[in-house]
Amino acid sequence: MNPAVHLDGITKRFPGVVANDDVDLAIERGSVHALLGENGAGKTTLMNVLYGLYRPTEGTVVVEGEPRSFASPRDAIDAGIGMIHQHFMLVDPMTVWENVVLGNEPRTWGGLRVDEKAAREAVIELSERYGFDVDPDARIEDVSVGVQQRVEILKALYRGAEVLIMDEPTAVLTPQEVEELYGVFEELTEQGKTIIFISHKLGEALSAADEITVLRDGVNVGTVASEDVTREDLAEMMVGREVLMEPATTPQEPGDRVLGVTDLRVEDDRGVEAVSGVSFELRAGEVLGIAGVDGNGQSQLVEAITGMREPESGSVEYLGEPMAGATRREHIDRGMAFIPEDRHEKGLVMSYDLVQNGILGSQHEPPFAAGGRIDWNASTDHAESVIEAYDVRPPNPDADAESFSGGNQQKFIVGREFERDPDLVVATHPTRGVDIGSTEFLHDRLLELRAEGKAILLVSSKLDEVQGLSDRLAVIHEGAFTGVVDPATVTEEEIGLLMAGETLDDESVSGAAIHDAVDDGLDGDGAGDGDGAGDGDGAGDGDADDESGPNREPAADGGVEA
Amino acid sequence: MRNPLADVPVPLLDDLIDDDYVRSLVVGVVGTLGTLGLLGLLFPDSVAGDLAGIVFSAGTAESTARLAAPIVLAGLGGIFAEKSGVINIGLEGLLIISAFASVYIASVIGIGNAVLGVPAIWIGFLAGIVASTLLAGVFAVVCIEFKADQIIAGLAVWLIALGLAPFMSTVFFGGVNTPNLGASVGWRYSATMVVIATAASWWTLNRTAFGKHLRASGENPKALDTVGVSVSRVRYAGVLLSGVLSGVGGSALALSIGQFVGSGETMVQGKGFIAIVAYLFGNYNPLGTLGAGVLFAGLDATQIRLQQLGYAVPDTLVQTIPYVVVIVVLALVGRTRIPAAAGDHYETEE
Amino acid sequence: MSRRDGGRLPTAARRVIEPFVDRSVAERILISVAAILLSIAVGFAIVLVSGRIAECSTAAWTMPVTGLGFCYDPFEVYAVLFNGALGYPLAIGEPGLFNPSWTPFNLSFGLTLSETTLLIFTGLSVAVAFRAGLFNIGTQGQLVVGALATALTVLALAPLLPPGPISGIALVVVGTLAGAVGGGLWGAIPGALKAYADANEVITTIMLNFVAANVAYVLVLEVFRAEGSSVVATRYVPEYAQFSPWLFPDSSDFALLALAVGVAFIGALYYLVEHTPFGYDLRTSGVQAAAAEYGGVNAKLTTVRAMTLSGALGGVGGAVWVLMSEGRWIESVPDLGFDGITVSILAGNNPLGVLPAAFLFGVLKGGALEIGFRTDVPTELVGVLRGLIILFVAMPEFFRMAGRYAGLGSSGPGGPETTADDSTGDDGSGGDGTTGDAGAATRGGEADA
Repeated sequence: MNPAVHLDGITKRFPGVVANDDVDLAIERGSVHALLGENGAGKTTLMNVLYGLYRPTEGTVVVEGEPRSFASPRDAIDAGIGMIHQHFMLVDPMTVWENVVLGNEPRTWGGLRVDEKAAREAVIELSERYGFDVDPDARIEDVSVGVQQRVEILKALYRGAEVLIMDEPTAVLTPQEVEELYGVFEELTEQGKTIIFISHKLGEALSAADEITVLRDGVNVGTVASEDVTREDLAEMMVGREVLMEPATTPQEPGDRVLGVTDLRVEDDRGVEAVSGVSFELRAGEVLGIAGVDGNGQSQLVEAITGMREPESGSVEYLGEPMAGATRREHIDRGMAFIPEDRHEKGLVMSYDLVQNGILGSQHEPPFAAGGRIDWNASTDHAESVIEAYDVRPPNPDADAESFSGGNQQKFIVGREFERDPDLVVATHPTRGVDIGSTEFLHDRLLELRAEGKAILLVSSKLDEVQGLSDRLAVIHEGAFTGVVDPATVTEEEIGLLMAGETLDDESVSGAAIHDAVDDGLDGDGAGDGDGAGDGDGAGDGDADDESGPNREPAADGGVEA
Repeated sequence: MRNPLADVPVPLLDDLIDDDYVRSLVVGVVGTLGTLGLLGLLFPDSVAGDLAGIVFSAGTAESTARLAAPIVLAGLGGIFAEKSGVINIGLEGLLIISAFASVYIASVIGIGNAVLGVPAIWIGFLAGIVASTLLAGVFAVVCIEFKADQIIAGLAVWLIALGLAPFMSTVFFGGVNTPNLGASVGWRYSATMVVIATAASWWTLNRTAFGKHLRASGENPKALDTVGVSVSRVRYAGVLLSGVLSGVGGSALALSIGQFVGSGETMVQGKGFIAIVAYLFGNYNPLGTLGAGVLFAGLDATQIRLQQLGYAVPDTLVQTIPYVVVIVVLALVGRTRIPAAAGDHYETEE
Repeated sequence: MSRRDGGRLPTAARRVIEPFVDRSVAERILISVAAILLSIAVGFAIVLVSGRIAECSTAAWTMPVTGLGFCYDPFEVYAVLFNGALGYPLAIGEPGLFNPSWTPFNLSFGLTLSETTLLIFTGLSVAVAFRAGLFNIGTQGQLVVGALATALTVLALAPLLPPGPISGIALVVVGTLAGAVGGGLWGAIPGALKAYADANEVITTIMLNFVAANVAYVLVLEVFRAEGSSVVATRYVPEYAQFSPWLFPDSSDFALLALAVGVAFIGALYYLVEHTPFGYDLRTSGVQAAAAEYGGVNAKLTTVRAMTLSGALGGVGGAVWVLMSEGRWIESVPDLGFDGITVSILAGNNPLGVLPAAFLFGVLKGGALEIGFRTDVPTELVGVLRGLIILFVAMPEFFRMAGRYAGLGSSGPGGPETTADDSTGDDGSGGDGTTGDAGAATRGGEADA
């Protein structure tokens, strides 16, 4: 029997890049197949070839034993191939049924009218057959991400898809929604559908797929049955060498309190509460990791701390001073470094060269601003020193930011922010889209800063990253911390539960840490008030913090040497 | 800020407009007119009486219909373009070019003559539509094929028409104003066309597959592309429709008088920009656009009649009212939600 | 950093030269020139076609080979347009290439430079807003308001001062300031509406143009109208309080001093935009609003400031119009604000580019008058050319395609896609002020996985 899909010697070249190099891949009907690889390994390109978005430079797509040449997705759809993109292709203000039938609307009145009744019935029928719980009349913008994904699947099924391609289907889901998705996979394969999903997560491929194909640099490294391999095998296939799964951190006593966040509430752009009462504190020489599924309020929390968003209530105290009402510029001026999650949008001005990008945030500060003008000499020197220290390639400060690769852009941003000599570094997804080599480099730099006694708030959706780098790990779900745990002892399953919004019963792991944080926060405030009234020492540096007095600082310094 | 008018239940209207904002607009206008009518009946000798007399007089209705046609029709056209993702601020230019072309062709054929049994004035009418559609076609190619900035290209369309129409008029007739044809299209025709176009637009946008595609093209073109519908074709259709509808409006404007006036801002006098305002005001709903267009035109018509009755209203100030209203509404209430992808170019992968 | 020190120009000099060496700037200049040539070509065709349709007794031009007669001679039109705008330095049809009796200080050239001067201010006005990512279509209205403020201020102050050159200078300075304040306030309105009420500036500025024209008209008609005037206009400001036309004939309405002020403004604006922290904030807001906010730029304040500055420049344009061209406020305000949009777009929104662009449009305007005197071709042709130039400048992709087709081999910037994930915010078109910046940015960011 023919495989459902056979990609026969697919090569896809873009100007200057070979995205897929002679990839051969056969996928059995009724199976779940994972396409595993790092960012840029060519997974998405390969699937876009299968879906007719790209034409292969060489090779053939064979569907059900028939060689096909797709000029457009329409052809692929007609051949029974459906694709669910990572960014959902849904029209937000339209309803579920309108989205499902878009482009294939049943019509009446000689084509002058969409047959609404038939369309809704078809959608209801489909969603019942596969056990989806979807309201056909809900607007896309009103339903959860999980439901949106099901609408995408319905869209493909409505068009008669036999093969479903899913690009990073779990990226935006909670662990529970992921479980539900695996259930959907089962339901679909039982009815003879074939599923190919793209992923860079090892665990996901192992638990959901029957077979796994690993791509590296556009080449098929191998296809294996999921029961025959271990995580380490897959990791080695992906990366090409044995990888250390965890960067090593040295234990270090934290110093003075740098950041105190108390009962912070923040709304997102739509006015929906995204952060619901978060409290924590962060000390010098400490890394606090925040783990969670993307979109659980991390962005808004970080924006509120860094002065990019006004919180609704609660307070942020930085170096002993409240930051309420302070502008973004004041945050920068007081020594807060911020590595934003979206470097193309915020971190860099893409059409500026690195000289101009190097002063972003310091454009009003000496030595760059002098006598009402910008000192381009000083700015150029600064850009060059960042380029040199952070190994940005090519080392050309006059090249526009957009001409650099993602990893080099990120290195430049990190370099610029670290060179401010900050007291607090807020780093969101600092290694997202960055190659392995640069990732290790950036991790090392973060740990160096920790050793220098900087406070670091690290937000990442990569569990191994936050777990490996943090001293304490907070897990966020729907805008609230579900737990603050010791990353050295917590298990991945426990983090998974916390990410799903459950709390851990095990007091020894989480309870202490949470209480610790909250107590410190309250203590700090209480002490500050008391001191202010009492000895007029000022809250600023009068933080005669009970436990972490100045005597701890030599210890921190010692850490650098060690 | 909850709008109390949004809560007034109106049976038929609720089915047609699922939008609080537009509903309250319609209810508000009807309410104001109703109150004015009542006051006029109760106190016929007061200012309200005069005003009611004017507002409800046949003459005012006529000139309202005449003035509203270009605003409403161009506004409907603007909806189609913008819903598809192409902001067309060149509506003014489309009105100008069609106004001139309709008069020009009608005069070339000669009033009293007919082609294939169609009287010259109606051939002129069609010619206006064709001219406007052609110019819209140029705009579409420039925006969709050559990825021009839509705002700048739209301005160019306006400026080209603003130069070309008086230029051609001078070439053909020796002056920027054409001679009067001596024949005109009655206001009833204009009114009928406005009503039909509004209803047809509403149906097309809300009930047909094309309407859904149009909406998807403006909100998330990629969603449309990935289900195999060509985004550029939908956008071309949207922009060309804006040309057709504006063409009807421009022809109706010029032929209702029988002359093209090309001095200054031409006889169109910013009606294309008011049209943009009308559809924003109407929140992209054809019925709302009709309401806003009639409101603006009615204001203008009333003002003209007031002058004739000897009320010393500085006409220029009354003409300013719609503009100020627009600014105030934009600032305070009118958070019209423009299509998410409007103004952006769309490129199919590869 | 030693690697770059050898042969490196002083940085200041490098920064000045760089824009012209920069590929994208060179490309912009090329596109602008190509757009002008293409519009001239299309204009040529329009003249030919309309010359075939128009009626005349004798053909002005006969096409070679075909022998077709045309009422308009397209070559003559352009010869008159460009030569005439400069006062006929070239002796066409006469022996010798140059006209021996030509001096630069002639009436036609004066009119051309007068237009150039006014367009410098309105062009700068639009350019400044553009650089901040704001599409100020309202320069026209800001000019109208500024002009009225200037006229009324000078008329009010003139009786308080003894007539004479000293008072003249004082009145010109104060009048120009009044214009700047008037225009600046009028420009601040859409700026504030944009910043604090999220009202689209394209629409509000268009509306405010109509409002400014109407309100100014009514004010002058009802309150400030000169007695016995047949048109709606204020009284004339005293002769000594106007820019005096050195060297050029009085009737050219041109003053070298005003042009010098314009050129100084260009230099100042260039410096402000490119080399000061405020300019950095402004430009960054314009190209990437989210990055600007990240870099500590107060977006709302920058919006208001940019629009106020833009309006003030438009207002100064109005002041110069009153104090140099008309000597009073008069209802028929020319379309200087709209032409400013054209000038700015043609200049690539770069202050330095405003000078040649304004001069080109000055030539078109000055030449239009000559076309009216010397040929039968309607002067509205120039209006058509203006629209065509904007249209063509707006479509750089067309010229890139044409260039690629002609084998000039200019591939897109950046070469192969080096970055894996695409960003939505950097399409670089200055005019897309209509997209909700912050909202879109955040959404794009969150979706980026």
